[in-house]
Amino acid sequence: MNKKVLIVLLPVVLLACNFLFPQQEPPAQQAVPTIRYGEANNPETLQEAESNGFTIVRIHPGDIDVQVMLATEAQKAISTGLIPVVEFDATWCPPCQAIDEAIESRNKLMMDAYQGTYIIKLDVDEWGWGVGDFKVEAIPIYFKVDADGKQTGEVIDGGAWGDNIPENMAPPMDKFFHGG
Amino acid sequence: MKKISFFYLIVALIISACASQKNASTSLSLATVNENDVEVSVHLESNADGEYFISATFTPPDGYHMYSKDIPITGVDGLGRPTLLELTSESNMKPLGRLIESVSAEVPNFEPKELLVYPPGAVTLRLPVELPSGNDWVDDFVKITFMACSDRGCKAPVTGKLVPVHIPGVDLFAGE
Repeated sequence: MNKKVLIVLLPVVLLACNFLFPQQEPPAQQAVPTIRYGEANNPETLQEAESNGFTIVRIHPGDIDVQVMLATEAQKAISTGLIPVVEFDATWCPPCQAIDEAIESRNKLMMDAYQGTYIIKLDVDEWGWGVGDFKVEAIPIYFKVDADGKQTGEVIDGGAWGDNIPENMAPPMDKFFHGG
Repeated sequence: MKKISFFYLIVALIISACASQKNASTSLSLATVNENDVEVSVHLESNADGEYFISATFTPPDGYHMYSKDIPITGVDGLGRPTLLELTSESNMKPLGRLIESVSAEVPNFEPKELLVYPPGAVTLRLPVELPSGNDWVDDFVKITFMACSDRGCKAPVTGKLVPVHIPGVDLFAGE
């Protein structure tokens, strides 16, 4: 075989290889959810149920009454089969940020614990420590709410888990959200 | 003779007790505030060496802790707030040194590790000061910053709260 034939054949062989043994696409990286704090949207969707099995939104003070906002969000939750829960937090609160970081990093224990929930976040720096019939003494704190956005009386706070690590936080949260 | 010696001994003991009483440290309560469930009591103190201190004791609720005086004013990555006792720029007192803490801050068992915390319970900060001269009382302010957290959660931070205090002049306080 002379050189000319080799030169012609080489690209043909390489092209054929490409078709016969297609390079595997690297697996699409699961989008790491980011928790954003902003006021562009109200409510601000932080986590979508479709990809996570739970939803996290943050509501900001506006023209609409807070109880109307909570009821609207609670009804959205119930209509999609999720459990509505109101959470109070703040950016300066280490336990609150530990929870957010565990969710952001997709910690399996926390992702499992949050399954089926619709978390409605309120920042105490925006809303204060008493919103509607919610009286907050320390954060983080979670209140289960009904379709009207009113407390059901079921509450959990950091006292349920001690140190703020997923291994401690996830089991009591799971129990609180899902019962049992 | 023995009786006289005994009498002199008793007199000497009384004089020495009185003298030590005069040199003992004294404390004057200046103010007490309660904010976000943390009680802060501010005192003016003097020690046997004639040094004066403004002190603040921060008492959080049971199980809560305060954060180290040495973390940044905006927290570590925004988390936590330092425990601080400061003079205002217009104060009649002058700081003579750095804050002294009654207990040492510890590395927390959570992240970030730079977010140093005091053990749960009260902590007192003392600031050596020079009192205003004279024999009069002076109106002044001290500035306090703090935040309390526990396993249950966190109370809202208080930053640079001005606490009104009534300060005696150095001659007045020394004469008390």
